[in-house]
Amino acid sequence: MYQFYTSKMLFPLILLGLGVLGNCMAYASPSETAMHTNNWAVLVCTSRYWFNYRHMANTLSLYRTVKRLGIPDERIILMLADDIACNPRNKYPAEVFNNENHKINLYGDNVEVDYRGYEVTVENFLRVLTGRHEAAVPRSKRLLSDEGSHILLYMTGHGGDEFLKFQDSEELQSHDLADAVKQMKEKLRFKELLIMVDTCQAATLFNQLHSPGVLAIGSSKKGENSYSHHLDPDVGVSVVDRFTYYTLAFFERLNMYDNTSLISLFSSYNPSLLMSTAYYRTDLYQRRLEEVPVTNFFGSVMETVHTDSAYKIVSRKDYNRGEPELHQVSQHNERTLISSDNPDHFSEPSTRDEYGALRSIWRSLHNKMEQIEDADTFVNYGLVIMLPFLGISMLLSR
Amino acid sequence: MASFLRLISLLCLPILFAVSVIGSVSEGAEEDFSEDLLLKPLPDRKVLAHFHFQSTAPSSRSNSYGRHHHLFPKAISQLVHKYRIKEMELSFTQGRWRYDRWGGFDSISSSNAKPSGVELWAVFDVPPNEVDATWKNLTHSLSGLFCASINFLESSTSYSAPKWSFHPASENMRYGTLPREAVCTENLTPWLKLLPCRDKSGLSVLMDRPSIYKGYYHSQRLHLLSSEFDSDGVDSAIVLDQTLTVVLQPHSHRGTLGYSSATQLQPSWSLSSIFGRRVIGKCSLARSSNVYIQLDRGLMAELQGILGEQEKFAIARASSEGSISNPAFELSANPDRVHMEMSNGYDKHISVLYMFMVAAKYDDSEPLDLRFTWKIPIAWSIPQAPLYVTRFLLGSGNERGVIALQLKSTKPRDQLMPDTVFADSCSLLVRVFQVVPWYIKVYYHTLQVFIDDQRHIITNVVEKMQVSPSKDKVSPGVMEMLLKFPCGLKSAALTIEFDKGFLHIDEYPPDANQGLDIPSAVISFPDFFTSTQFVEKNSSKSPILLKWQGKNPILSYTEVLLVPFTTPDFSMPYNVITITCTVLALYFGSLLNVLRRRVGEEERFMKSKATRKLRVSHLVSKLLAKLRGRQWEPSESQSHSSVSNSKSKLLFKVILVAGLAAAWQYYFG
Repeated sequence: MYQFYTSKMLFPLILLGLGVLGNCMAYASPSETAMHTNNWAVLVCTSRYWFNYRHMANTLSLYRTVKRLGIPDERIILMLADDIACNPRNKYPAEVFNNENHKINLYGDNVEVDYRGYEVTVENFLRVLTGRHEAAVPRSKRLLSDEGSHILLYMTGHGGDEFLKFQDSEELQSHDLADAVKQMKEKLRFKELLIMVDTCQAATLFNQLHSPGVLAIGSSKKGENSYSHHLDPDVGVSVVDRFTYYTLAFFERLNMYDNTSLISLFSSYNPSLLMSTAYYRTDLYQRRLEEVPVTNFFGSVMETVHTDSAYKIVSRKDYNRGEPELHQVSQHNERTLISSDNPDHFSEPSTRDEYGALRSIWRSLHNKMEQIEDADTFVNYGLVIMLPFLGISMLLSR
Repeated sequence: MASFLRLISLLCLPILFAVSVIGSVSEGAEEDFSEDLLLKPLPDRKVLAHFHFQSTAPSSRSNSYGRHHHLFPKAISQLVHKYRIKEMELSFTQGRWRYDRWGGFDSISSSNAKPSGVELWAVFDVPPNEVDATWKNLTHSLSGLFCASINFLESSTSYSAPKWSFHPASENMRYGTLPREAVCTENLTPWLKLLPCRDKSGLSVLMDRPSIYKGYYHSQRLHLLSSEFDSDGVDSAIVLDQTLTVVLQPHSHRGTLGYSSATQLQPSWSLSSIFGRRVIGKCSLARSSNVYIQLDRGLMAELQGILGEQEKFAIARASSEGSISNPAFELSANPDRVHMEMSNGYDKHISVLYMFMVAAKYDDSEPLDLRFTWKIPIAWSIPQAPLYVTRFLLGSGNERGVIALQLKSTKPRDQLMPDTVFADSCSLLVRVFQVVPWYIKVYYHTLQVFIDDQRHIITNVVEKMQVSPSKDKVSPGVMEMLLKFPCGLKSAALTIEFDKGFLHIDEYPPDANQGLDIPSAVISFPDFFTSTQFVEKNSSKSPILLKWQGKNPILSYTEVLLVPFTTPDFSMPYNVITITCTVLALYFGSLLNVLRRRVGEEERFMKSKATRKLRVSHLVSKLLAKLRGRQWEPSESQSHSSVSNSKSKLLFKVILVAGLAAAWQYYFG
């Protein structure tokens, strides 16, 4: 297993060393050459209960933003784990707000929730990503993306080190996520994928990702919490999380024809305002962030090619979207951004060595125990019984 | 500007075209749409608003357009054809219909009072062995269409096949409910999208989401009747009825804050005060677009008691002035027509229906904003079903319980029971249909019947009974009963005992601590029908009136029961504490065992070392060794070889345990 991972990691590195051409060849999948065809968004709120109002509001805010920037409802999979708009505790029935000024009703008149309530499970989430549905599942509940799709995956909820809780009863682990993304890649379900996670220790959720074309941003690093932004005294609970709040603040200034680049979004997060450090991982992503407009993921701006005559095939050339706006980066030098060019894989071998040492200790202990052939079997049995429990506790505390 | 105009004209073109098509084609097999709104004051200071939209499509065989439609929603027609649906009803409800306050003996309460959550039933025209598969596919399609988790009804534990007690045509029928399904904007929007005008014009403009969901009760229903697959498809068609029933509290402007006092003035209301919006015009695709205000029989009886002969006449006639006014109430607009209910032999009290046609005279500058103003305080009671039904749980604890169904006589009016003589032959028939999930293990033999607090033998009361017991994790328990009560009944109760089953940990919902639900029971009265005939026959084209003129069975739903269950604590701290404590207990238990146990050897050891004060120091040094995690070398020279041999083995074990402890400390401490 370990060897497999290292070879997988080393392979592109070697090729990089060989030449510029190598990198393109390393991922010589058809998706690499596929044209950007459409935009999809999977927006997931994983928390239940009224006091998690802010997670629903986060997701609905993103829903509103991507809809405003041009992704149609049929290309948005919205998963909400609870109904807060018509919750009896909601003072404003059929309305959800993400700000105490109550200017924007996020629920609106035309909201399409695809998975809600008990349907928001890890199983359904992975089914949506990988496209393994029962035959009867309607199209509106499927992610029907193709090899040219840009997908935005937004998740919010309660999480921890390499996991995200679903409805307080099950977890999505970073391995599950990475596996699903890998399957998506294999099945040509996306060209580029942006994973955005607003949860505690969000960055740990990306640790296992290995698929090319994936860009990930989390609200906090390992060991950090993500905090809510403010409390609405009328609603009675916090209405938005900090990371999402500042994301929305960034997007409220934009319209769908803006060329603002992803790097200006990523560098707009101020750790002192966020009270956590936004972490983004770019090592799996090929394009330079300065050249990627945010609408490549958060909107659906299709490149229209004007033709003088009908049905004439026009060869598509690279289309420059003009100068990316870099002024924000230069303005905020003081912001500490954690670049993820060196992911935390170095600690991995040492921990594995530790496990190896432990195992050898166990083995020698076990051998010694084998040698004892005394009559006092009761004690031996007791010791043997202890071993699996120690093993389990070791697994748990890993 | 020019492009804008062009856009507008482009947008309007299909509408104009459709209108012209409708206008040009004479009456016949054509698609048709009509909209109605009924408003009705309720005795408990609330207002009932009932929207009714009806779309009909001719059979695809007689339709010259094949499978294309002008007005009829294509999604529904595809549904009908794909799953061969004969009849289907889907309702989304939030809140509970109060049969005692809002009525139980009219067509609205019998067809629009629904159990909270989602209720779906469908009759299919497929071979019996394909019904289940078709049902499953239908639930998935509907779940996609209406943004709800209706697909949970696909599992065989959540639906049932009622034989005779729920619906007369029960062959190939499936019935399922989801009591805890949330109902909100996302369900209403796709429902509105089925209307040709959506919520952009016509009566559906009134559906302001916050006002609707602020109400005490709202139920959105979709009923589908298709004769598409009948062999004698002469007038075959699909009829789609969409109704939305809301009970709203009008804002009282006169500071009448009191609630209970019957002598206080009822709140006055208008369309804009209860919905926050006004009707600007009719949906131009609708054949008819009417607003009705209904005064029910109970209210009319009260009014006739209060008012004089002249004024009674005024109530029933549309006046020539701009508004209708009498000493009891005032209506802001003059009704286009007044429908008087045809008096039947039993009751001299009749209900009145004021009809307002939404015509071209209303526009942005002069919208239709009906206002209903009370002038005198009035209190009345609304017609009730023969029996008022409640259901509750008895017993305590997490092991067993009793479901009780209580039926109380509402002292029905004389027309309900024409022969109220308490003869032996007089009887009241009641049908009960109850579905119980499998984890409620009902003991059907424990059914007991009490009539007026006297226990009766079941066979005297139960005319017919059909039970299909639940199968664990396969199917729910279904109980269908036909009960026959004597006419003079004051109250009756049915009790049945149950045990709570155990669920697998995966089967608990994430919020299992709330308890689990038993769906509503359906009580119907096969001898009673509500049918309202109006004096004027010529105006019976409106879907609401047509519906009222038909024979509607009297139905009532009981409450949903919430059964608390023994639930595991799913929280992580609990799990961690449990596993850690188990490991620690095992560890220290076996450690203590090793340290303390000396089988047989101890005797010899004690004998040989009796003179020495070795034991205490021995233990102390062992403990020290354990704490330091170091090998313990006995300080004393071994005088007795046989003893020392066994002792060294023992010591080795002790050291082993100590080493384990040290390792534990080192790696996980």
